[in-house]
Amino acid sequence: MWRAAVVLAVVGLGAACQRSPEPASGAAPAAEAPSEKGRTVKHAQGTSVVPLHPQRVVVFDLVALDILQALGVEVFAVAGDQFPGHLAPFGDAKYPRMGTLFEPNYEALHSARPDLIITGGRSSAKYANLSRIAPTVDLPMGGVNYLDTVVANTELLATLFGREEKARVLVTELRASIAKLKETTTSRGTGLVVLVTGGRISAYGPGSRFGVIHGDFGVPVAAAGLSASLHGEVIGSEFIREKNPDWLFVIDRDAGMGQSGGARQVLDNELVHQTTAWKKGQVVYLDPMNAYLIGGGIQAVDRLRGQVAEFYASKAP
Amino acid sequence: MIRLVAAVAVIALLALVSVFIGVGDVSWHALVSPGPDEQALQMLLISRIPRLLAVLLVGTSLGVAGLILQMLARNRFVEPATVGAADSAGLGLLVATMLMPQLPVLGKMLVAAAFSLAGTALFLLILRRIPLRSVLIVPLVGLVLGSVFDSVTTFFAYRSDLLQSVNAWKTGDFSNVLRGRYELLWAAFGLTCGAYFAADRFTVAGMGESFTTNLGMRYSRIVALGLLIVSLITGLVVVTVGMVPFLGLLVPNLVSMFLGDNTRRSLPWVAVGGAGFVLLCDVLGRVVRFPYEIPGATIAGVAGSVLFLSLLTRREARVG
Repeated sequence: MWRAAVVLAVVGLGAACQRSPEPASGAAPAAEAPSEKGRTVKHAQGTSVVPLHPQRVVVFDLVALDILQALGVEVFAVAGDQFPGHLAPFGDAKYPRMGTLFEPNYEALHSARPDLIITGGRSSAKYANLSRIAPTVDLPMGGVNYLDTVVANTELLATLFGREEKARVLVTELRASIAKLKETTTSRGTGLVVLVTGGRISAYGPGSRFGVIHGDFGVPVAAAGLSASLHGEVIGSEFIREKNPDWLFVIDRDAGMGQSGGARQVLDNELVHQTTAWKKGQVVYLDPMNAYLIGGGIQAVDRLRGQVAEFYASKAP
Repeated sequence: MIRLVAAVAVIALLALVSVFIGVGDVSWHALVSPGPDEQALQMLLISRIPRLLAVLLVGTSLGVAGLILQMLARNRFVEPATVGAADSAGLGLLVATMLMPQLPVLGKMLVAAAFSLAGTALFLLILRRIPLRSVLIVPLVGLVLGSVFDSVTTFFAYRSDLLQSVNAWKTGDFSNVLRGRYELLWAAFGLTCGAYFAADRFTVAGMGESFTTNLGMRYSRIVALGLLIVSLITGLVVVTVGMVPFLGLLVPNLVSMFLGDNTRRSLPWVAVGGAGFVLLCDVLGRVVRFPYEIPGATIAGVAGSVLFLSLLTRREARVG
């Protein structure tokens, strides 16, 4: 036990000494005017100096991949082995794998000599380690201002690769189509977002990882006071019955993971049957890729919007 | 006998209280003067009473499973959750989910129970081969074995991104118990009753193999019966609500402190005590963060560890 503690202490000290001092320009705006060395970028975990035209870009985040794909930026290597939906092209063998989102393969990464590493969401915790290998940019997660975060992330990545014009077009289109959706949703009754996994239900409110439904898509809240915690609040079917939403948005997590989802079985019960949402057939199973796995990508948000808009259109007001 | 009746009465009172705790509107008033749609009564029948029954069934059967396991392993510090029974049941559930996702609940339960049976049998087999069966070695072997099963489960769950689902299975949680979703647990109750009839045999088996054989009984047969009961109960509980920690450890120990090791005498107390413990945990879990819930197993873990530690420090002389 003592030996382990000593070893830990030594390793910790070593790591602390290795950490290079932060760049002095702490108060820089999101992306400063480029100098010869590169451009200073402010992101979720500090500032980094990124070379002007990064070629060897390693991406540790599905959201970043989604945005880069939309901007038409080619990446060098990726992490993880599951690339769902529209990100399927990244499953191609021409992209070297740098470990997983949770466990980077540092050896492979070292020998890949990247110009730029992008982390976010599930890989944010590895930022400190990765930033020692190459300039690293960490994308913030969508919080209270979900759409604003998506836009900010898109603009940030666009600046790095000189795709500002493309980003402007994407963002304008997205904002317009979401505004259009908002017009229809606000007057059509309340909604509740639930996630089902392993037979359990949890509920999510505005500001949560699925808060885009309320905050930006404009669906009125059926259950006020839900906190914004990452894994939602554990609820029972009684809760759904009592809040009686007009629209029930379901994220079937197990389905998202390639299992045949059990959410339908879990929700198909006598209590949920009594809600307006069930009676009117207004239970929508959101695409778990767009809502959960890539939630926060500009294409994923647009696809989610498309699904919700289509569903609302298919139901008579 | 009178004391047992009194204990049952206390639990019945707690049960009555628990029925009126929940998000929906169920109150005396609503029940006595029902509205046009009789919502309160419906809520009672669909949600509250099934949940109460599930809690009581899990409490009684897991407590009894713990007691039997302690007899078979001849050690006071084991329970289904710490000898690999629960972990192997979880592995079985994962295997069933990954390979046969369309399997009905009964099928999944059977797979889980089969895995649990194999896991528990392996535990007893390893135990036989250990020459020094000190009080602490036995539960340690169980914990190690359980961790091995757990790591296999975690590996496959991680590879198929099912970690969260596995965690959900493993945490005993009554939030989704509804009419039609818990009835399998009655089978666990049936097994508990069966255990009562075989109680004397387990008492004898608890004295050891040679002792049992000298009395003219087949030791291996008693062990097999006990194993079957424990693993079926574990499989049933894991599949329907998830595992409740400390229950099988705490309750039989408390009872044996007062009543000794006569299984037939202590078994009703273990059943009643287990039911009361789970009920209390579930009620607390529902009240602490109302209208949201904290899984009953989480409460049981916190309360159980505190209680068990105090129990350990108080009765060191009687350990073993």
